[in-house]
Amino acid sequence: MTDPRNIPPEQRIAELGPEAMTAPATLGGPRPAPEGGEVQSVQSGWRLTLREFASNRLAVFAVVLLVAIILFCFLGPLFYHSNQTVDNPLQQTLAPGATPLTGGASHLLGTDEYGLDEFGRLMVGGQSALEIGAFASLVAIVIGTLYGAVSGLIGGFVDGLMMRFVDVLLSIPYLLIVLVLATKYSGTIVSLSLVLGVFAWLVPARLVRGEVLTLRERDFVIAAQTMGSSRWRLIYRHLIPNAMSVTIVNVTFLIADSIIYLAVLGFLSFGLQFPNTSWGDMLGNALQYVLAGQWWLVYPVGGMLVAVVLCCNVIGDALRDAFDVRLRQR
Amino acid sequence: MLGYIIRRLFVAIIVIIGVAAITFAILHYLSPTPAYIVLGSKASKAAVAIWDRQHGYDRSEAAQFVSYLGNIVHGNFGFSYKNNQSVDSLFKEDGPISAYLSGAALLLSLIIAIPLGIVQAVKRNSIGDYAATAINFTLYSMPSFFLGLILIQIFALKLNLFPPGVSDSVTTIGAAITHPNQLFLPIITLTVLNVASYSRYMRSSALDELAQDYIRLARAKGLSERVVLSRHMFRNASLSMITLVGLSIPYLVAGNLLIEYLFNINGLGLLFYNAVQNEDYNVMLAYTLLGALLTVLGNLVADVSIAAADPRVRL
Repeated sequence: MTDPRNIPPEQRIAELGPEAMTAPATLGGPRPAPEGGEVQSVQSGWRLTLREFASNRLAVFAVVLLVAIILFCFLGPLFYHSNQTVDNPLQQTLAPGATPLTGGASHLLGTDEYGLDEFGRLMVGGQSALEIGAFASLVAIVIGTLYGAVSGLIGGFVDGLMMRFVDVLLSIPYLLIVLVLATKYSGTIVSLSLVLGVFAWLVPARLVRGEVLTLRERDFVIAAQTMGSSRWRLIYRHLIPNAMSVTIVNVTFLIADSIIYLAVLGFLSFGLQFPNTSWGDMLGNALQYVLAGQWWLVYPVGGMLVAVVLCCNVIGDALRDAFDVRLRQR
Repeated sequence: MLGYIIRRLFVAIIVIIGVAAITFAILHYLSPTPAYIVLGSKASKAAVAIWDRQHGYDRSEAAQFVSYLGNIVHGNFGFSYKNNQSVDSLFKEDGPISAYLSGAALLLSLIIAIPLGIVQAVKRNSIGDYAATAINFTLYSMPSFFLGLILIQIFALKLNLFPPGVSDSVTTIGAAITHPNQLFLPIITLTVLNVASYSRYMRSSALDELAQDYIRLARAKGLSERVVLSRHMFRNASLSMITLVGLSIPYLVAGNLLIEYLFNINGLGLLFYNAVQNEDYNVMLAYTLLGALLTVLGNLVADVSIAAADPRVRL
């Protein structure tokens, strides 16, 4: 009997009959596994996860909505031209559809206190909010993953010390430390992202460490160690890729949290410098707008923000379920 | 048990000292001396140097930190140069209203979230369950101030039932209790947000319990569903809430800050916000320490009460 892996796929399909064609490739289908089947199993794991995710209709809808919002923010300005740089005192806080006293076209969503078109402002503010959310979570996840992997791999006393440090930092309420940092370091997209990201890596670090603690007892890691892998190679080649599911799920929640805290900072008047703006900054005077009945300056931007955060949370939940082998239905 | 508590308290003290050191280092890095606040931003270098020497700000950071810790042990949290008042007297003035706000919201949210979670679990996958889950998820994705704004819009501006901001005269718990409509909107905002996260956990915890054998046994004995739920399931499912409340204290502190800012309540959160604006760092330090202390104590109390409530947990 020859090894089935050596038979060409066409021949195997012919042997197994037509139903083999319809069997999903992910279930170790007719495709011959390449040498070192490990790669194959990783791929099919990802594909299984993707299929599981795609079967969650709510999550797919969240992805579509999120992509639509991203396209709206980044491609919208190409089609919808509006003044977003020079303040225009003659057109301050015009209601949607109201004609300016000086004549000219009305604005779809009115204008803000600088006289800038609010609909265009939604796009510009969305760009910075999404960029800050993504960049802050990137900072947090990179620090957190490396810290957790190193701590879990070294183990022993150093691990204990590193984790106690995380405990101490976790005892400081996040908002307080972020506010203190924001007094000095806000104003640009990069600085705000760093302010939000630099204390957000604690939870990912804990989760990745937990994952690494179980991974390092597994045979493939011990094998790699026996073959003389350096500690660094072990971390980036074996541990981090295998802890990726934890990391990816966490990134989605981190983005959601960063965008919420960006809004909070903006509301407390720490944000970007005019004429730059983010959805957070646009809510800075939200209470005054509400009291003055200027709803168009509060609810569209708030709604967009909640929609993005909601999408990220739904996607994160669905990804967590999809990665969790125990919850897998098939 | 007692040994465990003592050990945990010991760890808590070390954590608090660690928090103090980190916060102290960050604040000193951001602004090394409050001299410019006292003397004005145009003060000469010489005047600042003299002031620093008089108040001990010319010493090394480590020496300053050690004397700060020493003062804390004696209950002295330093002086707020902006408010021209000692930090402890400021905290004694503003603390009660914040505690009342958090306490009332926490109590109300538990009263609502626990039954809501149980009902959702019992009637799982019904339209009501889906609706409640969707609403909770949306609220959970909302910055707290935004919910506050929506409630102001509806209840203060549209229906004219409650004031949109809290009057400056409401500074004590007594005033808050005699004028309940003043603090109604802030408390409801915090409550709704807490309910959104608590009821999610309560639902999944109740679902776990409903699948247990002891529930099936209770039903098999012929007990009415009401007794099964209220006597058997309720207590076990509520255990997870103890941990959750303990862990959610940092969020309560943060929520307080935002709501006090939004509704203009003269509590600790607003005090901290003003301190941040004015680099009044004895206040910032004390409030951060208070937040950390509450977080650590919250975890400790949660662990101990779990052990007291659940005989399976041994410390």
